[in-house]
Amino acid sequence: MKGTLLIQLILLLGAGMMLVLFIRRWDAAHTRAWKRIAFFVFVVANVFAVLRPGDVTWVAHQLGVGRGTDLVLYLLVVAVSFFALNTYMRFRSLEKKVTDLARTVALRDAELLNRERLGASAGVSSTS
Amino acid sequence: MPPVPHLGDAVNDYHDTWLVIPVYNEEQVIADVVEQALKVFPNIVCVNDGSSDNSAERILGTGAHLVRHPVNLGQGAALQTGLSYALSQPGAEYFVTFDADGQHQTDDAEKLVALLREDAADVVLGSRFIEQSDQVPLLKRIVLRTAATISPTARRLKLTDSHNGLRGLNRKAASRLRITMNGMAHASEIVGILARSDLRVAEIPVDILYTEYSRAKGQSLLNGVNILFDISLRERGGR
Repeated sequence: MKGTLLIQLILLLGAGMMLVLFIRRWDAAHTRAWKRIAFFVFVVANVFAVLRPGDVTWVAHQLGVGRGTDLVLYLLVVAVSFFALNTYMRFRSLEKKVTDLARTVALRDAELLNRERLGASAGVSSTS
Repeated sequence: MPPVPHLGDAVNDYHDTWLVIPVYNEEQVIADVVEQALKVFPNIVCVNDGSSDNSAERILGTGAHLVRHPVNLGQGAALQTGLSYALSQPGAEYFVTFDADGQHQTDDAEKLVALLREDAADVVLGSRFIEQSDQVPLLKRIVLRTAATISPTARRLKLTDSHNGLRGLNRKAASRLRITMNGMAHASEIVGILARSDLRVAEIPVDILYTEYSRAKGQSLLNGVNILFDISLRERGGR
């Protein structure tokens, strides 16, 4: 009974952490460090689970989960959502960079083009 | 004694006004739309958002300024680029965003600028719903009404139409605006920025010409799902 609460607590904590990461600034260096630590722990846990499946079941029992497989599944769900979120944020950030780059190029290009075409508005400095 | 400027002249002089037109695959109509608008507004900047047709060539044939996105980025990005360009032009004081498909009218744009000139507001938005406008198709009317009603920011500003492309901004408002939503969610984003700012926002009725062309090019209702998704993620704080 107490164990069931424990696994629920862990999974909810995982979800909460993701929400915090989502809301806070993403590219901060310490966030990146935490992501790396989490990844490292994830890999070690994987190796451990492969070598000693019995121990995983023991851990699962301690946490109130019936089987080791179930525990692995739960943690996998958290991990996958984390990766999905991370990828989404990375795409958003990339999209912003591409936009800034394209805008700078477009504005510089346009200045020359329109000065030649329309003659007016010389000496315009573009800042975005 | 210096000559007293005649009021009538001042009203019709739009050298301090820039029309910003985002263009994506509008080769059929863009030249006509620009020529028509140039009769009233001498300063027009068209942002060709990586069109795959000959929109850019059509614009080159007119007297409008052309800015070319090297790749397609979306209407929101094109608007921001156009505003940045117009802001960097000497003497630019008022900015009007205008659709490329010919559904907006220069009369309405003039009304927006007149309000900005009187300093009655920093931002003037066009609305299709203030007066009973029968020319909006029924289904579209329902969807747009719903969008304006469920958007918390639109309600706070008491807006009746959050997705109209005809907007007027003075210099202060235009330089504050930072559109980050590249796609169609920028309309809601703009309303959000306005609601959080201390800018004075007004809404006036405008007429929209729903031609066969603009109907065919208009946003599909399904796109509303995309907009809701983008906005909900953004309002969770994803920056």
